[in-house]
Amino acid sequence: MSGNSKHAVNDTPNEQPPVAKGHVELRYVPYGAEKESTYLPAIRQLISKDLSEPYSIYVYRYFLYQWGELCFMALDEQDSLIGVIVCKLEPHRGGPMRGYIAMLATRSEYRGQGIATKLVRMAIDRMIEMDADEIALETEVDNTPSLRIYENLGFLRTKRLHRYYLNGNTAFRLILYLKPGIPYKPTFPPDYPPLSPSEQGQGLMDEDLIARQAALMRIEDVRGETHDVTGS
Amino acid sequence: MTEDQQHGSFNFAAHRLAQEARQALSFGSRGVKDVTAEFATAAKQLQPGQLVKDDYFTLFEAVGALEIMDPKMDSGCVPEDDSFEAEFDVCRGLEAAEIIWILDELLCLEAAWHDGYPLSQTVFTSLHVDRLLSPDNNAPYNLHYDRRPAGDLSNDEQLVHIVLRAYCLALIKCSQLVLHTVQSQNFYEEEDFVTHLFGRELLPKLSTDECYRLLDDALRFITTLNLPADTSEALKARLAFRRNYLAALIDDTDDWPDLIARMEVIDSTNSLGRPLREAFSDKVQRQLATSTPPRPMLQVSWKDAYARWTKMCAGIIETERLTSFWICQSPHCLQRAMWAFSYLEPQPNTFARAYLQDRLFGSDRITEDVSHFDLLLTDIRDLVLAGDPLADPDSFQVELPSDPRHQCSRHIEAFMDKAFEEYLNVYRMVCQNRCRIRRTFTQAIPIMDALETEAIRTDEELNRLAPREAMPNKSGAKVQLNPLTTWTKFYKVQIMARTIQLGFETEIYLPDELCTMYWLLSVFAHHQCSRIEAIERHLLVRTLSLLDHPQQNSRYAAECMASRDWLRSLHLQWDATRMMALALWRLCGILMAVRIIEAPKRDFAQDQLLYDARMKPYLSVNNEPIPSLQDLDRARQNIKSVEVTCKSIEMDVKEAKAHLAEVKMMSPEQAKYVGTEEQWKREMKQLETTCVAIAVQASQLMRIAGKHGKKGAQEGDSLKETVEASIPPPEKRYHGWWVVPQLKERKM
Repeated sequence: MSGNSKHAVNDTPNEQPPVAKGHVELRYVPYGAEKESTYLPAIRQLISKDLSEPYSIYVYRYFLYQWGELCFMALDEQDSLIGVIVCKLEPHRGGPMRGYIAMLATRSEYRGQGIATKLVRMAIDRMIEMDADEIALETEVDNTPSLRIYENLGFLRTKRLHRYYLNGNTAFRLILYLKPGIPYKPTFPPDYPPLSPSEQGQGLMDEDLIARQAALMRIEDVRGETHDVTGS
Repeated sequence: MTEDQQHGSFNFAAHRLAQEARQALSFGSRGVKDVTAEFATAAKQLQPGQLVKDDYFTLFEAVGALEIMDPKMDSGCVPEDDSFEAEFDVCRGLEAAEIIWILDELLCLEAAWHDGYPLSQTVFTSLHVDRLLSPDNNAPYNLHYDRRPAGDLSNDEQLVHIVLRAYCLALIKCSQLVLHTVQSQNFYEEEDFVTHLFGRELLPKLSTDECYRLLDDALRFITTLNLPADTSEALKARLAFRRNYLAALIDDTDDWPDLIARMEVIDSTNSLGRPLREAFSDKVQRQLATSTPPRPMLQVSWKDAYARWTKMCAGIIETERLTSFWICQSPHCLQRAMWAFSYLEPQPNTFARAYLQDRLFGSDRITEDVSHFDLLLTDIRDLVLAGDPLADPDSFQVELPSDPRHQCSRHIEAFMDKAFEEYLNVYRMVCQNRCRIRRTFTQAIPIMDALETEAIRTDEELNRLAPREAMPNKSGAKVQLNPLTTWTKFYKVQIMARTIQLGFETEIYLPDELCTMYWLLSVFAHHQCSRIEAIERHLLVRTLSLLDHPQQNSRYAAECMASRDWLRSLHLQWDATRMMALALWRLCGILMAVRIIEAPKRDFAQDQLLYDARMKPYLSVNNEPIPSLQDLDRARQNIKSVEVTCKSIEMDVKEAKAHLAEVKMMSPEQAKYVGTEEQWKREMKQLETTCVAIAVQASQLMRIAGKHGKKGAQEGDSLKETVEASIPPPEKRYHGWWVVPQLKERKM
């Protein structure tokens, strides 16, 4: 999602051999329904490790409080957090039920062992159980390890998002359809209305406070496609 | 009501207003109450992590939340050992060398702003600019506010209060003008440009004339100083640049080449500056209205900034050249010009792209004597109705309601009204960043398809009002031209083809998708060719009938000739596209058949759903739907062995080259590339080189397969261990739209 890429992972063994030697027995557990797990500080730390501009605790709570069952953690024998995936699932503009992978990270010394792939699989399986129509996410265009994980599972690149992240990096939007007929499902404009034709040619979201903030924060789907304020 | 009572009620109202005003101004009147304990008690009722929110609290708001006093999030957070404000006296005198450095640093930051960074990280970090923009400051905007320093100013002080101040004020004025141009046109906030002013106003009360006057005063002042000649010239060059830049932005002049020349002088004297870093500070962000975390001031080297300024001025000069009358009076020359502009290296910045849009769409005319309406009408005429009284501008002037020309013109007008916005987008969208060109074109597809339905309806009306001769098509059936339908379909399919080509350029497709996408492109190209052939047949008949009646106006005959050339050039180009797409479809297809290119495992995917996701932009097309998944699979089954396929590729390439060779011979007027001759030549070269590359890779495959006795390899066999393929990134291709896999023999 916004800020820097939230997909700090690498599951390809031959590129970066894992630094953690020896066999590590990992447990994969859902974050669950409890309102604030003892793991939250660790999750926060793991995700924001490489971020210059971290999220406030409300962002984590936003996801975990509402979709705790779509967050999965990889824990070692001492119950230390090795990897985590954070998602949401809700109707996309009144249309398809869209799962969204917001954050995915594994500790750097454990990368290359397939931990991230396992976490993504668990999240997808759970979303399927919850009747998701499609799953979307964004990741940086040069984050090859992350692209590889998702593309190996069946995601396709559908859009290139120019300067999507706060650091000026460009992203790909990736999508995986889970049911037939998704492109035919109608969607509705986002809450901020497109400008009338006479006002077209104004800068995108210039006058709308909500959209303005959204644009600043680079959140998923802020720039709605057909409903871009610039019209077209 | 008595007079007294009236007075009484007035007095009462006045009293009440005064009381309310006092309350509003001073919340102290209600008393201060410490709610800490109550708040803490209330907060304890919540579970840790519990989110109390209404339905309108979205992810946007969640992400917008800050943790107060977290130095990484709270831009107002002051670390313990730090001061709140930068400790630099903006009123203090500075030496000329320091002034030069500050002016150049401002140019660096301004360039970064043009490049898409916010003012808060760039120009606003100048403490001098900050002082001038301070909400406490007022016209005439002095650095010292109203507290004029006592006594005469020293030379160093005057350099600050006269020279630096004038420069900063003019810079702010320039920023305001740039912002105005950008915001008046299509752009994408944050992606292309940040227009946010962080609660500051860009000196709305300061006139351009006042800026000129201040700059002129500053220039005069410098001559009174006893400065070394080079220093004096350096300061003058910077002030003159600023003055001329302002003049160019306000349209007092269009002498952009002069700005490049002045920039050269600035560059050559850049080394005279002496750094004074404390004149800039990102602490200004603590007082700007923003919900974003503090971000460091941008570091831009002079070398980079200089290059960017030069490129920007060059870009603007190019916009003027590409919108000359001779280009603008031909829709297709202008479309070529737009693409040529967008593909300048590097792509012109947001301001230059807005500047071009403003030139074309700032009024209802593309250029003198060519209205937007004329442009669209000329386009329709050039492509489908050359030499026809239908859509002749004269026919629009016929006022007799019973005259079919009058009636037809009204129908055509109604259609044009509907087509107008999307048609202008064909030009405008090319001025967006590359990712957006693809995406806005994708959105245009259903709109064009709906327009086609409208065109079909209009053509029926036209055929009814002014019946014309039907012509046998390829299979002998007699058909009408249906000009508006044909025109709309031509644009629709062209846009569809562009979305695929831009998909290659923006690396949307994985290696295993190339095969399918090139097949689809070849299908689109095939449709275009058949369409052009139909137009050509009708044009021929029209031309012949004009020859039969030489008394008819010669303008029509000339139009027919021009259209014939134009259609031929289009036909050749689409034919070349079709053959190149087929060759690459075959090459990628055989590479997949013998497992040199393999699809990812895709555990969660199903073929039909992958097709749905990939083809989503085209699935809404009702008129002439795209091939189904089964069609695409069937096509792939036609790919036989390595040997057979490579031979076919050779034939395809040969044919493509022949088409290119022929179209290359056409003049700028014939093929409508007036004004973009250089780009045309370069593109032809790139396409020819691509053809060679395809042939080379096919023969490479043959050679390696032959060496291993595998020329007959086909679907089910594997050459995976023998040959490896790599997909060149866009910058390594001969043309961004054409992906030719590179093959080499695997080391055993």
